[in-house]
Amino acid sequence: MLLSVKDLKIQYKTRKGIVHAVDGISFDVPEGKVVGIVGESGCGKTTAVRSLLRVMPPVASYAGGEINFDGSDILKLSEREMNKLRWRDIAYIPQSAMNALDPVWRVGDQIIEVLTKRGGFKKAKAKLRAEELFEMVGLEQKRLRDYPHQFSGGMRQRASIALALALSPRLAIADEPVTALDVIIQRQVLDTFSRLQREFGLSVVLVTHDISVVAYVCDYVVVMYAGKIVEKGPVKDVLSSPSHAYTIGLYNAFPELSADEERELSPIEGGPPQLLNPPEGCRFRDRCPFAQEICKQEPVEVQVGPEHFSLCHRAHEAAEMREKARDPAVWRGVVTA
Amino acid sequence: MKYVMSRLLYAILVLWIVGTILFFMFRLMPGSPLAAFIDQTTTLEQQQALIARFGLDKSLFQQYTIFLQNALQGDLGQSFFHRRPVTEVVMEALPNTVILTLSGLVVAYIFGVLAGAYLAWRRGSAVEGIGIPLALATRAAPEFWLGMVMLAFFSFHLGWFPAGGANSVGLEYDNEWRRIFTVDYLHHLILPVLTLAIYLQGLPLLLMRSNMIEILQEEFITMSKMKGLGSRTIVLNHAARNAMLPVATAFALGIGSAIGGNVVVETIFSWPGIGRLLVNAVSASDYPLAQGAFMIITAVLVAMNFVADMTYHLLDPRIRHAASN
Amino acid sequence: MPQAIEPMGPASTGRASAALLPHLTTVPRRTGPLPALALAGKAFWRVPRESHYAKVGLVIYLIFALTAIFADQLVNYEPLEILFADNYQLRRNLPPTADHWLGTSYSGRDIYSQLVMGTRSALAVGLTAAICVVAIGTLVGLIAGYFGGWIDNLLMRLADIALGIPFLPFVIVLASFMGAAQSNVVLGIALLLWPNSARVIRSQVMSLRERAFIEAARVTGAGKWRILFVHIAPNVLALSFLYTSVAVGWAILTEASVSFLGFGPSDTVSWGYMLQDAYASQALGRGQYNWFIPPGLCIVFVVMAGFFISRGYEEVLFPKLKG
Repeated sequence: MLLSVKDLKIQYKTRKGIVHAVDGISFDVPEGKVVGIVGESGCGKTTAVRSLLRVMPPVASYAGGEINFDGSDILKLSEREMNKLRWRDIAYIPQSAMNALDPVWRVGDQIIEVLTKRGGFKKAKAKLRAEELFEMVGLEQKRLRDYPHQFSGGMRQRASIALALALSPRLAIADEPVTALDVIIQRQVLDTFSRLQREFGLSVVLVTHDISVVAYVCDYVVVMYAGKIVEKGPVKDVLSSPSHAYTIGLYNAFPELSADEERELSPIEGGPPQLLNPPEGCRFRDRCPFAQEICKQEPVEVQVGPEHFSLCHRAHEAAEMREKARDPAVWRGVVTA
Repeated sequence: MKYVMSRLLYAILVLWIVGTILFFMFRLMPGSPLAAFIDQTTTLEQQQALIARFGLDKSLFQQYTIFLQNALQGDLGQSFFHRRPVTEVVMEALPNTVILTLSGLVVAYIFGVLAGAYLAWRRGSAVEGIGIPLALATRAAPEFWLGMVMLAFFSFHLGWFPAGGANSVGLEYDNEWRRIFTVDYLHHLILPVLTLAIYLQGLPLLLMRSNMIEILQEEFITMSKMKGLGSRTIVLNHAARNAMLPVATAFALGIGSAIGGNVVVETIFSWPGIGRLLVNAVSASDYPLAQGAFMIITAVLVAMNFVADMTYHLLDPRIRHAASN
Repeated sequence: MPQAIEPMGPASTGRASAALLPHLTTVPRRTGPLPALALAGKAFWRVPRESHYAKVGLVIYLIFALTAIFADQLVNYEPLEILFADNYQLRRNLPPTADHWLGTSYSGRDIYSQLVMGTRSALAVGLTAAICVVAIGTLVGLIAGYFGGWIDNLLMRLADIALGIPFLPFVIVLASFMGAAQSNVVLGIALLLWPNSARVIRSQVMSLRERAFIEAARVTGAGKWRILFVHIAPNVLALSFLYTSVAVGWAILTEASVSFLGFGPSDTVSWGYMLQDAYASQALGRGQYNWFIPPGLCIVFVVMAGFFISRGYEEVLFPKLKG
């Protein structure tokens, strides 16, 4: 197991109090596999994955848990040791490369910078490697001399992939890598990314709010809601037999990338709860059409398949819930505003 | 390129308009320009001859056209007081002002940029709590008062530096350049430059700090941390490089406004520059000289506004490419 | 001297915190200048409680204002009165004593009294000039930003011209040719310094323009001028206030420089006049720190107070959204 996160907790200090952004999540990333983390904005997924590099805003802090990378808990490493891992072992692909690249540096120079400063490359070799990387992601070499704003959205994301792979890391964290692109470009970039991932045996943690992206490229999926993991397992299992009300709802709310089925969209009403004082019991309770009395109690993780787990009180009734969920009427009027 | 040309033409237009305004302002002011030449003994004939000689008998519009024609050829008239061509007198004083201003600005900006970047990096610390009010205090102090304090302490009290002028009295030099590149000149230059620098550094300091704080919150800085790049690389090569753009523009603008504002520093230190020339000319009602000095200062100001415009557009690759599209 | 970029001024941000300026999000039912001013008044008093800078700045201003108002009571002698000792000796260059808290000048005048009386001139010139400059700037900014088109173009070209004229030389020439009255200094300042505030207010108006239209169109068929003065202007007031407090500082500095160069009035006592007197009387050589340090310090404090107030109010009213 390349990456093993155990009971990770992250807090934010705000003027109004402490926000429990990530409230005890555990998941694993095997070698060479792609694990998707899916959830609404604000569910804690971005906070969680950024913390894997131990780069967090000053108001955020770890409040417990372990992040085991290649056997050792990186939370226990000194800053120096951690820095050795950054980019060389664990790399990051940002959501919006426009903001993530220095606007006054040429793109090629930014790749060369990482190669020379962190990879020990000499200038000439670094240039060659940069050209190689661009070719890998399908970008013209002359583009190395351009500035970020001269790239189109899709090209920028490809450049980000090139940058992330520069030092041949073992784990790549992709934070909504294609969200800002239009659908056709999304697919192209994901194809490129998939190809490279398989070629290099790269392990990936891919964050997205779009479950169809998960279906397209991931091996495993982790569903997050309100700072907790509500379901996780192999993609095939989770998508064919979602066993948490939220996952079921998500599936209905998005068009599928690969299938051509005509599916009626039924978004989940309402919004996620405040994480200042998280509600008792199941956090999805207030938006769930299947909520019952028992949901007021803290849910326990239930195994529903070989590697498939759910945090739903009614996980054993998943098949029924799925059936009922096909009717969009079930999802309307759940939240009484 | 087209953009540059259009801004340049615009700058020239502004210069011409301002020059015209100044011309009419000087001509329409109350007070006779001939006061320096006329006393009780001057006869009416002599007065009229003087008036004719200085072209004051022609209509205002005619005077204006003559003025324009001459100005374009570099002739700014005769100084009443010095009895020499204005252009000559002004050009003698100009290098001193340029050297003083540039030296002051360079020192101020180097210090300001570094200190501002440092304060931004040390945000929320005690250093910031003292640093900002201090920077504001230097901006709140009159330049000439700073000069007075410097003079009183370093010159009169400690005797380390001369009390004024650009060269020690009694020394002769072959030509202008020799005069400037001497230790003596430098010795005289230090206090005025220091005074100017103390006053000017507040702006780049606060500007740089403010820019840096914004930039340090940008995504690409976080990315740099994720790449594992060192603090120094991040702050200098990335954050500062981005934060510098407005500061570079401010520098160009600073030259323009400092040239005019130097007046007081030059007066305090008896520095033989254009500012002091202007003040003396105005006091002596030496119209042509005052006007000439004013024009030169204005020309520098407008030119620097133009340069600032260009700097901003050329340094930022985003705007450079947008402008050429 | 004032430059085109205010280091701590509102040039960088322009988005008001909706909580303190509710005009931006809702249209109050009773529209008009009075409710708007009431809201502005409330915001004015709320800020110092939240910002150290604003607090300190206001306190300093208060001290100087009170000094100016009660100057007649606070002085020990007539500021311009030449004083003689009992033995008919001129009280020249005396060091600080019980009689003369800051000593006397070369002409035998009490420095402390001059300092106190100088407050009046400083605040008078400062406030007058600042109000003029910001009034012009706000008006120009409102009109240029709201109407756009050729009006905007024309006004902005005028601004370019005003910015192309060297500031201090212009004021000097004005003062010397039109007479050494403080009103001429104010005139010079007003003529050349309005572009800074005008530009910032103009861009704020331009971003407000869209919203105000939509709101007002919904409420009534309000006319253009009404929208401008009733809906947009109050929102811009905060910026005007910020600029005013900074402009007071610039005005006082300008007046001091002009007086120092000898182009100021010699019948009123100002701090600039004191400094000029000191310099001309060789106070520097004599090490008469008691003469030339206090006026300079007073200028520093008053101008700084203006900066502090502007900074404090900007922190609270226009917070930079991140961090």
